[in-house]
Amino acid sequence: MIGCYVTGILPRTKELVELTRAYERGKAGERELEKAFEDATLKAINAQSSVGLTYITDGMLKWQDLLRPFTENLVGVKVGSLSRWFNNNTFYRKPVIVDEIKREKSIIQNSSYIKLLPRNISWKAILPAPYTFAQLSENQFYKSSEELMFKYAKILNEEIKSLAKLGFKYVQLSEPTIVYKPFNQCVSKDEINAVSEALKAAVDGVQIKTCLQTFFGDFCKILPEALDFPIDHLGIDLYETDLNKLKDYHFDKGIALGLVDARNSLVEEVENLIESVKEIVESLHGSRQKDIFVCPNCDLEFLPWERAQEKMHAVGSVAKRLREELNE
Amino acid sequence: MNKLFPTQEVGSLAKPSWRVKGYRGAPLSKEDVTEALEWGKRLEIADRDILGKLLTEKDSPKKRKAVLEWSAKYAIKLFEKAGLDVYYDGEQWRSEMYEHIIRNTAGFEFLGHVKSFDYRYFNKAACISKPKYVKPFYVDEFLFTKQNANGKIKVPFTGPYTLVDWTFNEYYQKKLRGKVKDFRRKKLEAKHEFLFDLINEVVRPEIRNLIDAGAEWIQIDEPAATTNPTEEEMELFVESFNVTVKGFNCTFSLHNCYSNYGILAKYACKLRNCSQLTLEFANRDNQKTGVGDVRVGYKELKLFEEYGFRGKYSVGVVDVHTDFVEPPELVRDRILHVVNVVGDPSRVCASTDCGLRTRTWEVAFQKLKNLVQGAEMARKVLK
Repeated sequence: MIGCYVTGILPRTKELVELTRAYERGKAGERELEKAFEDATLKAINAQSSVGLTYITDGMLKWQDLLRPFTENLVGVKVGSLSRWFNNNTFYRKPVIVDEIKREKSIIQNSSYIKLLPRNISWKAILPAPYTFAQLSENQFYKSSEELMFKYAKILNEEIKSLAKLGFKYVQLSEPTIVYKPFNQCVSKDEINAVSEALKAAVDGVQIKTCLQTFFGDFCKILPEALDFPIDHLGIDLYETDLNKLKDYHFDKGIALGLVDARNSLVEEVENLIESVKEIVESLHGSRQKDIFVCPNCDLEFLPWERAQEKMHAVGSVAKRLREELNE
Repeated sequence: MNKLFPTQEVGSLAKPSWRVKGYRGAPLSKEDVTEALEWGKRLEIADRDILGKLLTEKDSPKKRKAVLEWSAKYAIKLFEKAGLDVYYDGEQWRSEMYEHIIRNTAGFEFLGHVKSFDYRYFNKAACISKPKYVKPFYVDEFLFTKQNANGKIKVPFTGPYTLVDWTFNEYYQKKLRGKVKDFRRKKLEAKHEFLFDLINEVVRPEIRNLIDAGAEWIQIDEPAATTNPTEEEMELFVESFNVTVKGFNCTFSLHNCYSNYGILAKYACKLRNCSQLTLEFANRDNQKTGVGDVRVGYKELKLFEEYGFRGKYSVGVVDVHTDFVEPPELVRDRILHVVNVVGDPSRVCASTDCGLRTRTWEVAFQKLKNLVQGAEMARKVLK
């Protein structure tokens, strides 16, 4: 199939930004805040469905950062200090692992507006991947970061299964850390193998489609090993990846191409994107018919709401054109 | 300056409510006016009653301008009263370090608020045409400060690398449409062109004007210096600093904080004409007195020495993100510890970690007084 979707947290609408700021200053109450979140969520859902996205999310507007629902809702984890979010001028709160981590309640259900999602479009969930969660946490309890990664992978597995039961059809595991390696370092082969094992534990027995979405770094750093990850689709940030190198590999899996830059406000021209995407698909898939997804390279929350809307529109348009041209 | 451990502040100071409201044209409460008069008394500002009267006047452009001048005058006096050796005006004329320059330069458009963290946002601009210098944006405040300050002054200047990092680059990416196919390459090339256009068209002309107006020391603020810790980006940062300061007869220093010092240390020795690094350490340190292993927050200073930086260090010995007022003894020990690491006391200055804008004037004043006292105690030890 040729599909399209967003790959992370959407920006808050102007109204919601104003309301949350007022809330911070003590000038708006819980009820007003909740109402503003619901209104903005409906807008976020509508924005996705109106441009023809294949899978939609609730916009994840309540998520203060990718890890926060887990940081706040897992037993054994405390909310830590602010840390820089990769090479962005934004920050997240470090999960501090102080005890055995346990999932005593649904994580996503408590941080999302599942009830607002329409029934006639498939739902997508976005969760932090095991390696990213472990690496970005401050581990004060387990012997190693690897042990934490496997514990988290098991919890993730429970969460994904419960999401599937609720009706989600697709799950994306966000994995920036494995490719974000400044100074050209690569993850070691042993580490990649461990990541693959952790992913296996995370998706064990999961019936819905899965994607490992990498961003902020060069996908080539985990090639060729990533081609054998126990995951259906692989997500690539084209604004960070060495395209020439990438084109040397053949993918038997589906691909999610981050070809709209969520970190720049300039809206891409559909025509240019179509040309690039066809070239990339031709190299990676050849004549093999595999799933192709068109998406932003990372969370659209780096942009103001209006620009994010335009970017989603571009994503939808590219997918549509591609379907027409590839006669799907 | 022959004195050992000259004390410095790093830039911003909170804006008093009478400055904020007065400049915005909003009505002032009685408390606002009282606050202005009380601080005036504490700082021994003889003509403070004129301010008191001004604050009750009707809003006008003239009044707004006067409010800026008064708050700068107050900030200068606060620094002098605390006993600092090097200071500025608490950046009282500027709305904020990023917005101030962007709003006063052509080629930019603010797009709206994007998330910084939690319910905090920042107003982010896009570069939509070649940046163009329209008018001086620091010269007036500099002239005012020069006229009103008795000590040595240092102009904080938001660095070009940070301005570019915090701005959407639309214009230069658009220029490369159809010319550069590789997405990543295009982004980097566009950034390079944006950065050096900004330096040559805007930053250097302003530096030229500041120097012509009499500025002798400019502190380049680059909080984003290590945001992209790749070799390519760090080299770009170094080049941006070197091109910015090249050929000017002026003292330049670099301020960077809350960053990856392991990375910065490696590149700091490549900065040309950078007489001083103003770095944040107190925030990483504990509050116990003593020198040696107890000073955990200052570990990374050693790296700058190892990689060969040979200029001065103005080390943060006062944390700006807590109301805890560092006792002079703690300030003293932090300085003495740094002297042991660097080996040469004449290369050590003492400062706050960063600007004090998040602290109240009360806390800021106490912290600065103890900074000055602690430095004096350290001098006595070395005698």
